[in-house]
Amino acid sequence: MTPKERWLAVLAGQTPDRVPMDYWGTPEATRKVRAYLGCRTRWDMIERLRIDAVVGVGPEYVGPKLPRLTDMYGRRYKNVDYGGGKYLECISGPLEGYHSVDEIEANYTWPSVDWFDYSGIPGQIRGRKRNYPIRGGGSEPFLIYAELRGREQSYIDLVEHPDIVHYCLDKLFDFCYENTLRIYEQIPDQVNLSYVAEDFGGQESLLFSPAVIREFFLPRMKRMVDLAHQAGAYAFFHSDGAIRRIIPDMIGIGVDILNPIQWRSPGMDRSGLKKDFGDKVVLHGGVDNQYTLPFGTVDEVRAEVRENIEIMGQGGGYVLAPCHNIQAVSPPENVVAMYEAGWEYGRIY
Amino acid sequence: MDDILTAIRTAVIQGNAGEVESQVKAALEGGIAPKAILDQALIDGMREVGAKFEEGEFFVPEMLVAARAMKGGLTLLRPRLIEEAVEPLGRVVIGTVRGDMHDIGKNLVGMMMEGAGFEVKDLGVNVAPEQFVEAAKAGDVDIIALSALLTTTMPNMAEVIKKLDDAGARDKVKVLVGGAPVTESFAQRIGADGFAPDASQAATLAKSLVV
Repeated sequence: MTPKERWLAVLAGQTPDRVPMDYWGTPEATRKVRAYLGCRTRWDMIERLRIDAVVGVGPEYVGPKLPRLTDMYGRRYKNVDYGGGKYLECISGPLEGYHSVDEIEANYTWPSVDWFDYSGIPGQIRGRKRNYPIRGGGSEPFLIYAELRGREQSYIDLVEHPDIVHYCLDKLFDFCYENTLRIYEQIPDQVNLSYVAEDFGGQESLLFSPAVIREFFLPRMKRMVDLAHQAGAYAFFHSDGAIRRIIPDMIGIGVDILNPIQWRSPGMDRSGLKKDFGDKVVLHGGVDNQYTLPFGTVDEVRAEVRENIEIMGQGGGYVLAPCHNIQAVSPPENVVAMYEAGWEYGRIY
Repeated sequence: MDDILTAIRTAVIQGNAGEVESQVKAALEGGIAPKAILDQALIDGMREVGAKFEEGEFFVPEMLVAARAMKGGLTLLRPRLIEEAVEPLGRVVIGTVRGDMHDIGKNLVGMMMEGAGFEVKDLGVNVAPEQFVEAAKAGDVDIIALSALLTTTMPNMAEVIKKLDDAGARDKVKVLVGGAPVTESFAQRIGADGFAPDASQAATLAKSLVV
């Protein structure tokens, strides 16, 4: 099977030849693994480790010229050195300080999909990438909202300014919807996955109440899921953390894939999730990125990969992947061990 | 007297900042002891908020608005507490370690500690180890609380403890650590005095270390 066939078999509820393996990593972490393996490019590394990576497609920004370290929403960033690499962190948002929808309407220009050129998308899936699943479009608007308003204020808004949250989420989701639609139109029937993401979980419990999630997010996310399905794509739901309480709702709006399975968090036990939801969603992730990959031994990595496959891979329904972007703190030995063990133990069917 | 304290406590739990302020003013004008307002209304209200959080009834937004309401009341109360020489439960210096800009968790912990009766000095995010050491050496600090969200910045917690040691200040303070990837065993490995998985439990832990 090609990586794409392997993914599509899992998504169709069939048994693949082996458990597909996905890759998420920061540029610094990827460079370290490449150097360790002596691979010239990221794709050489993907092929060497037999990873069933996902090919992302997207448009090119051709909108108004942006000031340095500022994005199209007006969010300003700075480079923060965490020791071993740098992260761009948002330092100010353009909607901080507004108290009403009217004020925002009067003073703020929302980005438009017309600021993007979609014509280059067909060219992004040529050559050897044709054998890999294709991801495009999708949404993760509260992440943006939190930076537009300031993270703390964004949480407070859910209680004190629900009208502002509703107004902004409509704008942000409308952009995502139109953007996704235009991507689908460029390569009809070829997009396999769209991420419909939102971080609902903290390490120990949900960040927001189920009532808040149902009021503010689910109807808008369902519209994205429906759009994906109409285009023949699968909806990939990502939320970090302990989200057990909200999984039935996510299945209710039609998500096809649940990521990242942070199984050390309360309620996220792998066998429980497989038993309760394994026939309704594909489980994706599961290789712990908070202890095992960065601080565990090679043997611990191998043992965890084997457990994941044995618990979540039975009958298909599982894609092996790290629980988030692999960080530069993770030794390349552990990353390589993860994918070698995944290949070794993945042929269980 | 009980009625007005109950009203303040309820307003804290509901996150109603305006109501907390007006009722605290009324209570002070009515001659209620500032210490009673602090203990029976503000702190007891935040204790209930913590309990509701641990029970899965309250979430981050509800905690934030409650903490903000509590802080509004505390700001009104503080000059009177100083006048009457009411000592805080203890003094905490808190911050997110170097390289890490994440502050929601750190802010919640600070608020819950303040709501438990501690005086909290917040050094902010991306805090160099030396700044924690300086704060510890300046004296009159019981607890240094360190936060990290990233696995890449967790090692900087160990660095703070090492620098405290080098400066001979390690035994003057208790060091608490927390943040998404941080665990009890990590805390033990780097020689911290305690770990808590969430803001409410962090406040409970801090209390247990100073009494």
